[in-house]
Amino acid sequence: MEKMLSGVKLYSVCSRVTPRTLAVSGRTYYKYVNDKEESLAFKDLIDRGIHTSFLTEICRGFFVAFGHIFKEPATINYPFEKGPLSPRFRGEHALRRYPSGEERCIACKLCEAICPAQAITIEAEERADGSRRTTRYDIDMTKCIYCGFCQEACPVDAIVEGPNFEFSTESHEELLYNKDKLLSNGDKWESEIASNIHADHLYR
Amino acid sequence: MAKLIGLDKLANYFRVIKHNGGILGSIKTLLRTDDLKFGTLVGVDKLGNKYFENNLYFYGRNRWVVYHEKFGLNYDGSLVPSEWYGWLHYKTDYLPHEDPGRPKHKWMIQDWSENLSGSDKQYVPYGTTRTKVEGWTPPK
Repeated sequence: MEKMLSGVKLYSVCSRVTPRTLAVSGRTYYKYVNDKEESLAFKDLIDRGIHTSFLTEICRGFFVAFGHIFKEPATINYPFEKGPLSPRFRGEHALRRYPSGEERCIACKLCEAICPAQAITIEAEERADGSRRTTRYDIDMTKCIYCGFCQEACPVDAIVEGPNFEFSTESHEELLYNKDKLLSNGDKWESEIASNIHADHLYR
Repeated sequence: MAKLIGLDKLANYFRVIKHNGGILGSIKTLLRTDDLKFGTLVGVDKLGNKYFENNLYFYGRNRWVVYHEKFGLNYDGSLVPSEWYGWLHYKTDYLPHEDPGRPKHKWMIQDWSENLSGSDKQYVPYGTTRTKVEGWTPPK
């Protein structure tokens, strides 16, 4: 260390205006990364011999393993314990309703337009009471990349990515969601969706 | 002093046994949940699942759910209703009945079901519009 730094000292003494980088460019710093030769002193030889013959490393390993039996496990026991989740978590999609029970979606198709995976398909018609609503709102959940652009694009907070991530299925077709499925998701999860939106409302 | 020689751990051990209903009950719980813990019961949801909390365990393990006995070994993570979901996932410290912000609309689905994939009640996709191309039936 002394030897390595001597160059630096020399430079800094010679001239005060010399930038420090110059001292480093002298290539006096290096790190030895290869195996170091083991000491062949008598004491070290005996030490190594004893460690090998009494298997001390194996014993120390056993002690570590034994100690861990009494430690609290660092894993969580799903599904009884669950990990922390953010209110912004983007999980399964849902279509929301107004408190009156009227569906929010007005078929503006902004989500369909912004969807980078083109997973959303919307068709719209005029309803009997003259309001514009969707007749088809399909999301292919196997195309969806869960980017959350649809809920950012939505002007009426109709399509949201809910908190649910436990919707794995056994077949592909079960993940081709239609409007009824999305609305029933919304009805099922509204309690949590509304809480999440409220938790995040100061940051939007 | 008791803490210094680890007697509190022993006391916790007896508390765990007591919490799980004796030695037999503890064996049953261990078989079902792979874990033995003790804590305070903070609530029961509409399915009968019980929610516990004990801050002695570290964050991430201090809140847990014990599914109702009727589910047996067929418990599923999706059996937690949305009211309890936030509390169990550490999003809020409010219990569902304490939380003033949770909406209670009558159109919200009240009866909770787990992920029904693979059962006969699974979701099967269907069209919600009229077909644009109708099949031609040849005249006889």
